[in-house]
Amino acid sequence: MSSIKRITKELNDLGRDPPSSCSAGPVGDDLFHWQASIMGPADSPYAGGVFFLSIHFPTDYPFKAPKIQFTTKIYHPNINSNGNICLDILKDQWSPALTISKLLLSICSLLTDANPDDPLVPEIAHIYKTNPELYQKNAKEWTKKYAI
Amino acid sequence: MSMDFKISVKIVAAESLYKRDVFRSPDPFGVLTVDGEQTKSTAAAKKTLNPYWNETFDFFVKENSVLSVQVFDQKKFKKKDQGFLGVVNIRVGDVLDFHSANFEETITRDLKKSNDNVVVSGRLILVISYSANNSTSSQVRSTATSASNIPSAINSASATSHSSNPTSQLDQSMNNLSLAGASSSYSAAQAPLAANASGSTGTATNGTANAASNRQFSSFEDQLGRLPPGWERRTDNFGRTYYVDHNSRTTTWKRPALEQSESERGQQRQTVTDAERAQFSGRTLPDERPLSPALSASNGITVNVTGSAPAASGSSAVSMAATGATTAGLGELPPGWEQRFTPEGRPYFVDHNTRTTTWVDPRRQQYIRTYGPNTTVQQQPVSQLGPLPSGWEMRLTNTARVYFVDHNTKTTTWDDPRLPSSLDQNVPQYKRDFRRKVIYFRSQPALRILAGQCHIKVRRDHIFEDSYQEIMRQTPEDLKKRLMIKFDGEEGLDYGGVSREFFFLLSHEMFNPFYCLFEYSAHDNYTLQINPNSGINPEHLNYFKFIGRVVGLGVFHRRFLDAFFVGALYKMMLHKKVILQDMEGVDAEFYRSLKWTLDNDIEGILDLTFSAEEERFGELVTLDLIPGGRDIEVTNENKKEYVELITEWKIQRGVDEQFKAFMDGFNELIPEELVNVFDERELELLIGGIAEIDVEDWKKHTDYRGYQETDEVIQWFWKCISEWDNEQKARLLQFTTGTSRIPVNGFKDLQGSDGPRRFTIEKAGEPNQLPKSHTCFNRVDLPNYENYAALQKKLSLAVEETVGFGQE
Repeated sequence: MSSIKRITKELNDLGRDPPSSCSAGPVGDDLFHWQASIMGPADSPYAGGVFFLSIHFPTDYPFKAPKIQFTTKIYHPNINSNGNICLDILKDQWSPALTISKLLLSICSLLTDANPDDPLVPEIAHIYKTNPELYQKNAKEWTKKYAI
Repeated sequence: MSMDFKISVKIVAAESLYKRDVFRSPDPFGVLTVDGEQTKSTAAAKKTLNPYWNETFDFFVKENSVLSVQVFDQKKFKKKDQGFLGVVNIRVGDVLDFHSANFEETITRDLKKSNDNVVVSGRLILVISYSANNSTSSQVRSTATSASNIPSAINSASATSHSSNPTSQLDQSMNNLSLAGASSSYSAAQAPLAANASGSTGTATNGTANAASNRQFSSFEDQLGRLPPGWERRTDNFGRTYYVDHNSRTTTWKRPALEQSESERGQQRQTVTDAERAQFSGRTLPDERPLSPALSASNGITVNVTGSAPAASGSSAVSMAATGATTAGLGELPPGWEQRFTPEGRPYFVDHNTRTTTWVDPRRQQYIRTYGPNTTVQQQPVSQLGPLPSGWEMRLTNTARVYFVDHNTKTTTWDDPRLPSSLDQNVPQYKRDFRRKVIYFRSQPALRILAGQCHIKVRRDHIFEDSYQEIMRQTPEDLKKRLMIKFDGEEGLDYGGVSREFFFLLSHEMFNPFYCLFEYSAHDNYTLQINPNSGINPEHLNYFKFIGRVVGLGVFHRRFLDAFFVGALYKMMLHKKVILQDMEGVDAEFYRSLKWTLDNDIEGILDLTFSAEEERFGELVTLDLIPGGRDIEVTNENKKEYVELITEWKIQRGVDEQFKAFMDGFNELIPEELVNVFDERELELLIGGIAEIDVEDWKKHTDYRGYQETDEVIQWFWKCISEWDNEQKARLLQFTTGTSRIPVNGFKDLQGSDGPRRFTIEKAGEPNQLPKSHTCFNRVDLPNYENYAALQKKLSLAVEETVGFGQE
């Protein structure tokens, strides 16, 4: 099975060469459902927090992008209250060459550098742009409340 | 409604509960809750999967109240999931008729999962009864609940699981169609999915922070709250959320607003339907309209001159014959000819010289084809055209279409060399001969209307089931007789208007994704494709045959359907091989990945074999694309073959049977070899007709990239389009958006594969190149042409010459 083979390979690669500050692996025996965690980047208001994500692989993987959602609440212009992430490589810029490891690293860098011009949560994006201090404060508070 | 009714609920029994432990059976008890306020519970039955309680409780309810019955295992009630064994939710108004004095209904429902997805099985049986005498208004509330043995947590838990159960309505309404079992199991299967996908429509506002963020919504609510009664949220195969209105049996992409009343919604639906009808009634085909003024003017041909051009006059004669129209005052008939009338009053002509009859008026005729047993063609008077130029020969294709061979240059052409070439006149002319194809197609004996009448009587609000009965009971030969449609209880003879309305209404019903026969493609949200999961309706193949017949019936009787399919389906109808480009219209993401596969080094990145995976009822099944394919690696060398195979599999997979049934029905009216004269785009126009296209609206909702609206090229572009006729405009739309369909509310609602996408013109390409299109994004790449003539020529060429829906 092509998708299982590929997912297994990614899992082995993750075990052999784990990316810094992220981890991921299957939930139970369902290879198509993973859980991942990301450490809040040190240079961001999310520092110190641990954020969990759920990953669902489609049967067409890697021809179709995996579905990734935050399960930990996070204050971010590109991540909404359901944990959905607005990231181009999860949508029309997906390519079969991408892997879970690369996706998690991209999500890490999204935490450091939000993209307020393509927001999923316009209110947060507005604050991010007009009042960075308030954004920092809110993001830290949420991190403290939900991710530590 | 403030009135409360007193009802009695007898919880009789449950059967085949899920066995969660290997060695012991649960002690099941039921908890009944109305609107999260009144709670009662039964005693626990001991060690059984088929508990029998037979206990009766009274509740005060409103029509909108929801009765929720949960079953738990008493032994596990202190555990995390409370030994949950299933839940049944019933909206009281759905099962109770408050207008009758007495009422008793036995209800059997499958137990459903709760939000945390613990597996459940089995059914619950209860009896709800109501007697008008017992009903009092609302002071009395449940007092003595037997809640003593229930921890209070359960109240709040059950309060979150309010949901009405419109599937029961659905079942009833669809019993006649025998789709019932199918769709209810469908909705059950979809429900867990729906909960996941709800997130994608998510908005930011969220008061109840933490708890809500991970909450799974039932299919009758979302983060904005409950849906109106009778509405359900579902997710399609592509993860898109849509809404089912079980009240009107319709679906929509838009979330219904709670504050709207049912009648307001009804009105809104009516407005949309009227707009669709208006758009629909404007559709035509080129054989049914005069030459467009722009075209004939630019050719400098007057109507009289057209009369001397044999192909054109032949065509007008045929179309005239077909519509039964005739023009008087053409002078005397040739010697030996006589005009007669059929019993229906249609004129025909008898040639006593040859003892033949024809629909075609000999005074208008320069060009008649008669078909002998071996489909030889004889040209009757071609006097005014004269012989072919030297070295030319006329031949027939295997579909009996005329073409011309020029032995001087060893080339072939569809165009008669004796006709004035538009190129000679230095006028860019639209060269595709759809018009001629339609006329040829219509003139075929197999498409003649047979003598007699075909009566179809349907009820307007049961059009699907009535039509199914009426159309399937008749033979294909009967269906080829003059169509006489009648709506039950409505006056009006069918002189075209009634059958037009019939096909309009019927196409809305039978392609309604509600019935799970067709679904909207991933390309936009209105082109249709066969639903690979239609098999949940055991009768589905009969329905596909029926739909095939209806499509054939429409084409045969010159009525249009208000339905547009994905390009790949038209290709399949023409037995053309589907190619990678067709995937773009079916699933754009998959298409991009396959394209990536072709364009990049895949070794070490994609671990593919010549196989495919498919989920069947929750189980992953591997299928070989070639014998032993699962053990054959896909490499850079053989990946092209893989892409071809997987494309074919992906597009045709799971719909083989449905498609075959559809074609069986279609070919009963339209012979396969005749429809093959068309290409897939033309077939779309033949089935759906060509709409009147509002260029101003189009222009108004167009975006530019690299261009300004004021740029010369852009001005030329719109000038060129407004000079085109509807067929050319429709073809430009097919070229750029993949379908000739325009959204009902105009171009502002144009959809791409990733949501709303306005028509876009991008500055790209060299002036010596043709425009290119990206149908996924409704975008055309328009080079910065140097002058109007160049633009006109390139644009016409691109639109005409592009074969297939993809573009190179």
